[in-house]
Amino acid sequence: MKKRSDLTAPILSAVFMGLGQIVVLKQYIKGIIFALVEVITLLSSRRIARAIEGLITLGDPKPNLPIAQRDNSTFMMLDGLIAIVVVIIIALIYIYNIRDARKTAKTYMRTGVLPSEKDFFSDMGEKTFAYFALSPAFVLLAFFVIIPLVFTVLIAFTNYSAPDHIPPNNTVDWVGFETFREMLSLKQFSQGFTRTAIWTFIWAFLSTVTCYFGGMFLALALLDKKIKIAGFFRTIFILPYAIPGMISLYMWAILLNGQFGPITKALRQLGVISWLQNIGILKKDIIPWLSDPVLAKVMLILVNLWLGAPYFMLMITGIMTSMRQDIFEAALIDGASKAQQFRYITLPMLLYQTMLLLIMSFSYNMNNFGGVYFLTNGNPTDTITTQSYAGTTDTLITWMYKLTLDQRLYNKASVVAIIMFLVVAPFAMYNFAQTKAFKDGEV
Amino acid sequence: MMKKALTAIRYFFVYLWLIIHTFIVLYPIAFTISGAFNKGKSLFQMNVLPIPSNPTTEHFTELFTKTNYLNWYRNSLIIAVCNTVLTTVIVMVTAYIFSRYRFGLKKPMLMSFLILQMFPITIGMIAIYVVLNRIGLTDNFLGLILVYTAGNVPYNTWLLKGYFDTIPRSIDEAARVDGAGHLTTFFRIILPNALPIIAFLAVTSFTQPWMDFILPRFILRSDKNKTLAVGLFEMINGRSNDNFTMFAAGALLISVPFLILFIINQKYLVKIMAAGAVKE
Repeated sequence: MKKRSDLTAPILSAVFMGLGQIVVLKQYIKGIIFALVEVITLLSSRRIARAIEGLITLGDPKPNLPIAQRDNSTFMMLDGLIAIVVVIIIALIYIYNIRDARKTAKTYMRTGVLPSEKDFFSDMGEKTFAYFALSPAFVLLAFFVIIPLVFTVLIAFTNYSAPDHIPPNNTVDWVGFETFREMLSLKQFSQGFTRTAIWTFIWAFLSTVTCYFGGMFLALALLDKKIKIAGFFRTIFILPYAIPGMISLYMWAILLNGQFGPITKALRQLGVISWLQNIGILKKDIIPWLSDPVLAKVMLILVNLWLGAPYFMLMITGIMTSMRQDIFEAALIDGASKAQQFRYITLPMLLYQTMLLLIMSFSYNMNNFGGVYFLTNGNPTDTITTQSYAGTTDTLITWMYKLTLDQRLYNKASVVAIIMFLVVAPFAMYNFAQTKAFKDGEV
Repeated sequence: MMKKALTAIRYFFVYLWLIIHTFIVLYPIAFTISGAFNKGKSLFQMNVLPIPSNPTTEHFTELFTKTNYLNWYRNSLIIAVCNTVLTTVIVMVTAYIFSRYRFGLKKPMLMSFLILQMFPITIGMIAIYVVLNRIGLTDNFLGLILVYTAGNVPYNTWLLKGYFDTIPRSIDEAARVDGAGHLTTFFRIILPNALPIIAFLAVTSFTQPWMDFILPRFILRSDKNKTLAVGLFEMINGRSNDNFTMFAAGALLISVPFLILFIINQKYLVKIMAAGAVKE
């Protein structure tokens, strides 16, 4: 074989995948694999094109056809999305095919020997095994995490909502930023939106801070060597963390029943309620633990503290016991008081070590569904609720849940999801930048 | 003398709080237990003190005969077991590959895991429903299990990879030289050394489905496929005062295994949590 310019092979491979490898470089197996990819692509090109077209049009309403034969917009959207992913993968293979041809041709030009395919495949062996073993995880992630996230974003730009745009009965159309406009500028929704967003932020902040310091207090109190039976107390204090959250939240909702709940009953029997009535704080013979907007919010934070403090107690106990003790001994010799030790040693060290965790906990609480839903269900309601479906104690996630499941306003729910996404993203990024792997530049 | 008195006062208040806190923690639990054995149905009939009046076990019998409690329990158990197996296997393999192999897209892949890990799967619930609907897996345990497993991959892969990285590479390189293949190295070297973290992963993925609410409510629509969380929710929803004692009985039956598991593993848990938290 005479030497040709090293561009022949890549150009041939660009014309038809694998052609360069087969004709010029005599790498038959590799070439045939590439060629097969191209053949399959060409054969299915009509289906791919139709799927992408479906994504653009989202189907036409065909009210005369039986329901099963009408265009299902959401399916068309999903198929179109998958088709785009497929096209991207094929494009990547295509680029890889050209680069591979160029690289092999260059090696050939330099050495004058055609590289054998054996080297290629033995080199690939390790990588192939890696990719093969990763594929289940990636297929799952693609279908149940990544595509849903993209899909959610897309829904926000459609009119996918009850009552008139629910497939398979009706089709869905693209509406651009219309839904965003409705949510953010139409008074009916914007009021509910603003209120819910602010409360979500306060809720996430307060629940993180209260649980952290509550847990810290318990951990430090029980680590004091002078406290007897600390192990016994610790076991008891862990219990709320061990009980499934939904159960304890429900229990608390019952305990805080304003009329028959045991807490109300106890206060009534002690005469506290009638005293409060006398001085005019309470109007009726009940305590509106969960039915007064402000009191309900306080209760949400307190019950969440009950649930969440044990986690931080465990965490801080673990960190403190693995911490070196000599620094405390040195402080003791220098005459530092307990308060000084806490202020200048314990607190900064703990904060430094758990900063990442605090941020994670904050973003967890932003999305904490059960903590609100099972205790107050977003109630009590008011005039804003009747317009936007957002109760006074609803957070973004419970509101989104209600918009989705109860009202079937999927496009509006998606707008809420996107906003939540945008709020959580900076924390995600910060967290990411703080990880050891990122800082060391090696993953 | 003054100092001594102050210390004494401080400890008095610490002890006082510990005792009050013990009461705050134990009261709701005691109230549930007494509710489960209390005669009558509603909250109205409960004493303030958590001592059941006319103790009875009829609520448990009722739970088994009049509701689908056992069926819900069975469904939750099936989902929990499958989720544990699938999550553990897939995460183990993925983390092993990321810890031990070199390949082109490793870094971007791991980074994308870190980012995905921050978003709760519930954000995409509408889309997940459409995907499952498309492949005919709505109202199907398999659909729910796949969604759980996918959601578990990003975070837990990082967790396990971190642990695998601490197992010296020299050991498995030696095994490779002796002719061990990919799988032999994994089963003989990595697995035995990483048992604690794998056990931790198995336990967390087992407990996950028991009380998860949004996804099963959304995906499993039919009555026979309800999980424990959804079943209990619907049993009590809106009628919490009337159905209180039966709910308490059901809650007690779920909580007891969890409590036992926790108290046994307490020490071990503190260690794993501290190790996961500490920034090195």
